[in-house]
Amino acid sequence: MPSIPVSASSPPLLRAEGLVVHFHTRDGVVRAVDGVDFEVGRGETLGIVGESGSGKTISSLALLRLVPPPARIEAGRVLFEGEDLLALPETAMTRVRGRRISMIFQNPATSLNPILSVGAQLSEILVWHGMATKREAPERIAELLRLVGLTDPAARLRQYPHELSGGMRQRVGIARALLCDPSLVLADEPTTALDVTIQAQILDLLAELRARLGMSMVLVTHDMGVVARMADRITVMYAGRVCESGSARTIFHSPQHPYTRALLDSMPRLDRSYRSGGRQLLPAIAGRPPGLLNPPAGCRFAARCPEATAECRRVLPVQVAVGPDHMVACLRRGSQGMAA
Amino acid sequence: MGTLRYILRRLFFCACLVVGVSLILFALINAIGNPIEILLAERPGMTDEIVAEISRYYGLDGSVTDRYLTWAGAMLQGDFGTSIIYNQPVGGMLVTFGLETLKIQVPGILIALLASVGASVLAATRQYSRVDFGVISAAMLGHSLPGFFVGILLILVFAYWLGILPSYGAYSTRSMLMDSEIIDGLWHMVLPVSMLAFFNTATLTLLLRASLVDTLRQDYITAARAAGLPERRVVLGHALRNAFIPVLTYLGILFGLMLGTAPVTETVFTWPGLGALYIMAIQQLDYPLIMGTTMVITVMLVAATLLTDIAYVLIDPRIRLG
Repeated sequence: MPSIPVSASSPPLLRAEGLVVHFHTRDGVVRAVDGVDFEVGRGETLGIVGESGSGKTISSLALLRLVPPPARIEAGRVLFEGEDLLALPETAMTRVRGRRISMIFQNPATSLNPILSVGAQLSEILVWHGMATKREAPERIAELLRLVGLTDPAARLRQYPHELSGGMRQRVGIARALLCDPSLVLADEPTTALDVTIQAQILDLLAELRARLGMSMVLVTHDMGVVARMADRITVMYAGRVCESGSARTIFHSPQHPYTRALLDSMPRLDRSYRSGGRQLLPAIAGRPPGLLNPPAGCRFAARCPEATAECRRVLPVQVAVGPDHMVACLRRGSQGMAA
Repeated sequence: MGTLRYILRRLFFCACLVVGVSLILFALINAIGNPIEILLAERPGMTDEIVAEISRYYGLDGSVTDRYLTWAGAMLQGDFGTSIIYNQPVGGMLVTFGLETLKIQVPGILIALLASVGASVLAATRQYSRVDFGVISAAMLGHSLPGFFVGILLILVFAYWLGILPSYGAYSTRSMLMDSEIIDGLWHMVLPVSMLAFFNTATLTLLLRASLVDTLRQDYITAARAAGLPERRVVLGHALRNAFIPVLTYLGILFGLMLGTAPVTETVFTWPGLGALYIMAIQQLDYPLIMGTTMVITVMLVAATLLTDIAYVLIDPRIRLG
């Protein structure tokens, strides 16, 4: 078991340990999440970064035990406020979901029920969790809609999702996540489906709400820019495993894992020139992530890694501390190997 | 308002449709032959005088146009004419026989609706499980078997082998079951209703399960679960209502064509309903009866289609009439 140093001051709000999620398909077992650890402190925002298929969304769904079939959580612990969520009975889980941990979805166009009015779907949740009676609910929700920046909340309550713009829908989605004043909000690519101008507004809103309500957040995204702006700590995922994790400052200023470095290098920066003689010079990572049906032995990134050695292709690296609050899973940075 | 204007406009088009159907039908029936000729064949030796008399009595002597106008004029006043074979007012016959048909069709559809909701929820929430495959296979089989075959099978098993249910008719002719007209009627309804329910359940389940599987994959379902709503509420409250939208059209057609699909069932079970009457009327070229029955079937289908469209507005706020 890889161990994560517990910050001395206070235990983290949530800690995922050795999370394993497999998709049981006709062709075999797809190891979508293969032994992932991360933690979120109180009031802290953790950014989980990775490309499509790296397992970041599945990891966040696994926290709520909502991985879609044929996926199944095979192993691990999710310690949240002192209890292991993966060991709770399902009925107890319905009191965690939405109330203590809630979720903001990627696509606001599809994550609201099209045939229920905004007021109806939000009040159902509020009433179910016993946070308000049916009579009180509209007022509470209107208040929240105002908080997330929607004008004329009374009218919004009666509207249906298709009558709202994308940005407004995402604000409703955020309001839904805040209904029961949760201590942790999971945001899965909350701005990816939005226009660039709306993206900025939604990010500002999330930052403001976090400061105001003091909640913790897990922000799942492929967008380094979003993470740079929002996250206190960062976990970088690749092909179902964590490559590197640490404070946002460390990850951006002294990345250690070759994948993190390549990822940061492939971000366009205004202070660099990428064109010379008409050739595009923005660096890209050659190759593609490995298939997770039969992942290669050894480091998942080895095939694309400029520093890979023969050992890297054979041995799976385990995370090792390379600095205060900075962990890397790379044999070239001192990681121990794990028997594959 | 938009909705009201839309409905009025639709009603106008529906009326045009009904008139059109009646025109085409009248012309077609007229083209196949004359009921007097059938009478003549059955009782040879009638003089031309008698034939002319009968023709006049039944209003079969004028031109096609005149006869259509006479018929349509009477129709508008609620007079469907008199059956040539049965010598009874068609309107009254349609009500009597129509009610017998509704008696087996409406329960047949409603039972199927309940059963298909149950089966679909069971299957869709366990996609690709044995239960799911079982439900799909049974529904496919039920959908593919011809209705009359199932009917005959039911008769074979329950009436012939087990001898616990009547194989034909709507009422006992000699002694009624438990001396009660109601119990006796219900007892006779069991097999025809089973046959209709069986077939309807199969088709509705295929449609609803597919729609439900698709709906359960939607983001808003995951979102409802992530909000802590219990699974029962997510499936029955959120998914089922959405999944039902595409099935509504089929349900509308089922209700609309209730009288039109009756002949098979009613022939198998010798049920004294509109379907059996319709077949008889066609065989005997009973003009007023054919016209009356077809008009009822047409109006029901047209009305069901209109009601389906209105029901869409009620179930799905994204749909607007107009």
